[in-house]
Amino acid sequence: MSYEEGIFYVVAAVTVLGALGVVLSRNVIHSALFLIVSLLAVAGVFILLAAEFLAIVQVLVYGGAVTILILFAMMLTRVRDMPRALTGPQWPLAALAGSMIGGISIAAVLGTEWPGETNEAGQAIEVTVIPIEKIGHDLFTVWAVPFEIASLVLIVALLGAIILARGEEGE
Amino acid sequence: MGMEQAWLIPAVPAAAFVVLTLVGKYLPRKGDWVAIGAIAASFILFLFVLVDLLDVVDEPGFVGGEKSWEWVSFGSFEIRLGFFTDEITIVMLAVVSFISLLVQIYSVGYMRGDPRYGWYFAVMSLFSAAMLTLVLADNLLLLYAAWEGVGLGSFLLIGFWWEKQSAAEAAKKAFTTTRIGDVGLLIGILMLWNEAGTFDISEIFEFAEAGGYGTTYLTAAVLFLFAGAAGKSGQFPLHVWLPDAMEGPTPVSALIHAATMVVAGVYLVARMLPLFELADPIALNVVTALGLTTVLISATMGLAATDIKRVIAYSTLNSLGLMMVALGSHSVTAAMFYLFVHAFFKALLFLGAGSVIHATEKQELDELGGLASKMPLTTVTFAVGTLAMIGIIPLSGFWAKDEILHVAEVNQNAGVYALMLLSVFITSLFMTRLFIRTFLFNSRDPESRDHAHDAEPTMTVPLLILAVPAAIGGFVVFSGVGEAMGFPGGFGEFVYLEHAEEFVFHWDIVVLSTVLGVGGMVVGYIFWANQAEPARRMGEMFRPVYNVLYNRYYIDEFYQFVIDRIVLVGSAAISWYDRNIVNDTGVDGSAGLTGFAGWGLKFTSTGKLPNYALAISAGVIILALVFLVVKA
Amino acid sequence: MIPIDNFLVLSSILFGIGMYGVLARRSALLIIMSVELMLQAVSINFVAFALYLHPEAFTGLVFAIFVIVIAAAEVGLALAIVLRLYRNRQTANVDEADSLKW
Repeated sequence: MSYEEGIFYVVAAVTVLGALGVVLSRNVIHSALFLIVSLLAVAGVFILLAAEFLAIVQVLVYGGAVTILILFAMMLTRVRDMPRALTGPQWPLAALAGSMIGGISIAAVLGTEWPGETNEAGQAIEVTVIPIEKIGHDLFTVWAVPFEIASLVLIVALLGAIILARGEEGE
Repeated sequence: MGMEQAWLIPAVPAAAFVVLTLVGKYLPRKGDWVAIGAIAASFILFLFVLVDLLDVVDEPGFVGGEKSWEWVSFGSFEIRLGFFTDEITIVMLAVVSFISLLVQIYSVGYMRGDPRYGWYFAVMSLFSAAMLTLVLADNLLLLYAAWEGVGLGSFLLIGFWWEKQSAAEAAKKAFTTTRIGDVGLLIGILMLWNEAGTFDISEIFEFAEAGGYGTTYLTAAVLFLFAGAAGKSGQFPLHVWLPDAMEGPTPVSALIHAATMVVAGVYLVARMLPLFELADPIALNVVTALGLTTVLISATMGLAATDIKRVIAYSTLNSLGLMMVALGSHSVTAAMFYLFVHAFFKALLFLGAGSVIHATEKQELDELGGLASKMPLTTVTFAVGTLAMIGIIPLSGFWAKDEILHVAEVNQNAGVYALMLLSVFITSLFMTRLFIRTFLFNSRDPESRDHAHDAEPTMTVPLLILAVPAAIGGFVVFSGVGEAMGFPGGFGEFVYLEHAEEFVFHWDIVVLSTVLGVGGMVVGYIFWANQAEPARRMGEMFRPVYNVLYNRYYIDEFYQFVIDRIVLVGSAAISWYDRNIVNDTGVDGSAGLTGFAGWGLKFTSTGKLPNYALAISAGVIILALVFLVVKA
Repeated sequence: MIPIDNFLVLSSILFGIGMYGVLARRSALLIIMSVELMLQAVSINFVAFALYLHPEAFTGLVFAIFVIVIAAAEVGLALAIVLRLYRNRQTANVDEADSLKW
């Protein structure tokens, strides 16, 4: 295998192991840490997919903001003070469901003809790297409407979170 | 204003019924003037229609005046609301509107003070409207609807004093018995419609004359029609309701059970006689046989009955039987003529009885007697009615009864004729008995006799008015009399089936009937005069015979037995089925099943988020599987 | 180039693990984290398709950006709700929030 594939397998392994850690760990904090690992590994996958900008955004947003948020929430809900089984009674069915979804998806993937590595002329297809300027330009022109809507969503979420988390007067 | 507007004749009383039902109790005098005004209007309208008819009746090819509207129509099926006026109809209209008017005037006095006075007049109007529609109907469906309406009116009026158990029972009995006949009538109508495709009477006649019906089919249909007629007209074996119907107020008996409703059956057979003629002769034989049976059993039962109204009711059955025999002898003329005069003298007899009851508060013959001196007017008019019923010359009943005897002699075998003559004698006997026991000699109850008196004018004037046609109404059978009044001739030249029948004096019949009639009166006088000793001894000697007659040949008991053993058992079984299977299992069961399912399903809402999430994912997975397998 | 299948299989595995986590874990926070995993899988899918199938129109890339945006917003909101839940019932366990039980 080429060195690209080798790197891929490493990164993939980290991702999967991190994910398993999230769902199987018996300590909530450990789960959160495993999540960070997994998220960063996914950033690596993005790099392998020639989406460097996305990788950076991933690291910044997820690794920086989301996980901090989660850790804060853990602190505020005193999750450490309540040692109890974290996995509920329906975990066998959940495992079944998860594996079935994964299985069906993999079956679908493997059963599909994807465009190969060589084009009609017989040459290897080169990976196209999208320059950042192009992404930025398109984001504000072609994707302007979703962009604005996304910003609206953020504002609403912000407001909502503030209102919800603030509590009643005098609390 | 003529035959085209004939539909107004029933419409006015129908409107009166609606008005009286809705606002009757707020009107002054509870609105009796509305009812009487309406029926008077009907009578006047009838006169207009009559004049119009007489104008055109001589024209060749005249069948009748007609007016009809489309009522319901989908595809090729059509029901029409149609009115047809011909000679038969005119006779019926005369009888119904005139008698109805007099009876309602009489009722003002008779029913005074009754708590449901207003309702009485409302139902009277309803009945009149239905009866008038019945005789004007040009199609069998409308006739059937009016037939039912008449039955309803009769039910409501027989059971007018429904607080009295016997009255309620009588009303139920009347309705149920006639209902049995009505089913037959409906089957007959449907049979006729099925082949001809129309309910219209003239069209059915055309169809039948063109040979559209097979003989057996037509005979069966016509016999079913006769079943309905037998029910309404009290022919054996459906005669049982008429004597009991006397529970109703006497004016009701006079109108419905003497002059109008019970003759609906006669009218039906008379109207449909062309079909009877086309059918197998057995149809008319059945009519004659049942008519004759009715004549004989009613006359014999009349000998033993003790209630004044019942005796008159038996005389009505007797008369109806005579009319049916006339029809069975192929004569519309004889039947309609008798119907015409019978309406007058029978109503007269009933209203007279009503005056007696009103004055003495008694109805049993054993408690009456000697009223002649106290109630002279009533006695005289009642005598006229009695003599007309017996058939004494020159009263109206004589001419009509002799016509029937004549057609029976000509068209039936000797046995029928002989029995008819016998019935003349027996009828004379029991009518004489009635008159003697009610009015003559000493009263058995002196106290009630003492404050007996002729009734007030609203009640006596109708008696006087009725006595006139009862006495001289028979003369219309003469050509001269008829022509003088504007008719094409005598009764026989006005109302007939195939050929106009000019009246002929048949001396042999005249002699026979007079001898028998007078003979009956003499024997009756001997038997029942004074203390009626001969009659009592006769009754002792033939006690079993007397019992059979007194108990009306035990027919009622037989019917009750059949009902108890067969009908009620069947209905018990059906009601068991309905209660247990249809209701408990079917209805309650399916409801319970649904409830149980609901109870069971509620356990799926556990309230726990993971459960719901699992359910959602299950759905998604199944969907994904389907897509994977089908590769859609 | 790495065959596209690799990426897609990775994404499927990640998705399956995330689904397990959503269905089996009891703490609301853990459920939220598992949802994040599922969203990651989806993003990888989008970007892979963008690169391998339509490299010139990088729609999948933009989609992935938006996924991240929405995911972030959603996490913020979800955590606020969890805080509410905790304040009302002193527990963050979804098992114990069953007042809609029959």
